[in-house]
Amino acid sequence: MTAEVLDPLIHEQARLRILATLAALPEGVALSFTRLQDMLELTPGNLITHLRKLEDVGYLTSKKTGNGTASRTSIGLTVRGRAALDTYKAAVRRLLGGL
Amino acid sequence: MNDTPDLEQAATADSGGALDPREAARLLEQTSREARRQFSLTPPLVTAVMGLVILAAYVALWLSVLGQHPYSGPNLGVIALVYVTVAVGSAVGVKVYQRARAGVSGSAVALGAAEGVALLVSIGGSPVIQGALHYYGASSALVYGVIPAAGPLIVVGTTLVGMAASKADWPQFGAALAVVAGGGVALFMGPINAWLVAGIALFVGVVGYAAGTVWRDRAAVRA
Repeated sequence: MTAEVLDPLIHEQARLRILATLAALPEGVALSFTRLQDMLELTPGNLITHLRKLEDVGYLTSKKTGNGTASRTSIGLTVRGRAALDTYKAAVRRLLGGL
Repeated sequence: MNDTPDLEQAATADSGGALDPREAARLLEQTSREARRQFSLTPPLVTAVMGLVILAAYVALWLSVLGQHPYSGPNLGVIALVYVTVAVGSAVGVKVYQRARAGVSGSAVALGAAEGVALLVSIGGSPVIQGALHYYGASSALVYGVIPAAGPLIVVGTTLVGMAASKADWPQFGAALAVVAGGGVALFMGPINAWLVAGIALFVGVVGYAAGTVWRDRAAVRA
C-alpha cells in the first residue's frame, strides 16, 4: 500500500534527508556539495549516487564551477523537486491519518 | 579545495532501507528542523540574549542621565561600554552569518547582501540628523537625548519594515513595527525617559522576533 502512494524516489532515508535539507533554503538558493555532505554525514560516493537519482528526475540541479582543486559543485532544489516533496509530505500525512 | 567530483561520476549502491510512514514523518521533521537551525541567520536563543544585552545597555544609558538638570547626555564611560557591547554583538553576528551561509549560494544570497548595505546606510541616518541638529545649535536634550535614543529605532526600524514586507517575513515585520512605534513614543518622553522607552521597545521587538521565528519555523516544519 505504502509503495503505491509514496514517491519511491523520495521514500528512501538518504534522499528524504537530502530533499528536506535543501527545502529549508529559500527558492533560488543552492548548497555546496561539501556543506550538504557535512550536514547529512554521508560518504561522498553515497551522496553522489542519491543526488544523481534525484537530478535524473528533475528534482535537483547541480552546477559545477571552477576547475581542478578550485572546483565547487552546488546543489539546488528545483520547483518540481519542492512540489514533489510537498506531495510526499501530504501523502505521509494522509497515511498517518489512516493508521 | 576540490569540492566534489561531478555527479556524472556517480557509482555505488543505494543504501536502501524501507521506511514506514511514521519513520518518514519523524525523519522529515527532524531533518527540516535541524537544517533550519543550521541555516538560520538569527538563532532564537542568540537573538533573545541580544535583546537582553540591548535592554541592559539602554538601562545603563538611562541611569547615567537620570536626574540631570540641565540635561547634558550620557557619560562617556557608559557610551564606551555601549560601543564595546555593539562591537561584541557585531562580532557574534558576523560569526553566526559566516556559519549559516557557508556553502550557500544563489540570487537570494545576493539580495541578502543588498539588504545588509541598506541596513548599514539606515544605521548611519540617525547620527547624520543628530549632527545636523548640533550644527544648527539645537539643545542637548535633542542632540544627546531624544534623537540618539529614538532616532535609530524609527530610521532603522522603518527600513526593516520595508525589507520584511518585501520578503513576507511576518515575524520581522511585526517586530520592526513594534520598534518603530516604540521609537515614536520615545520621541515624546523627554531626553531622560526616551532612553528607557527606546530600550524597552528594542527588547520587545528583538525578543518578539526570536519568539516569532520559533513559531514560524515550527509551523514550516509541520507543513
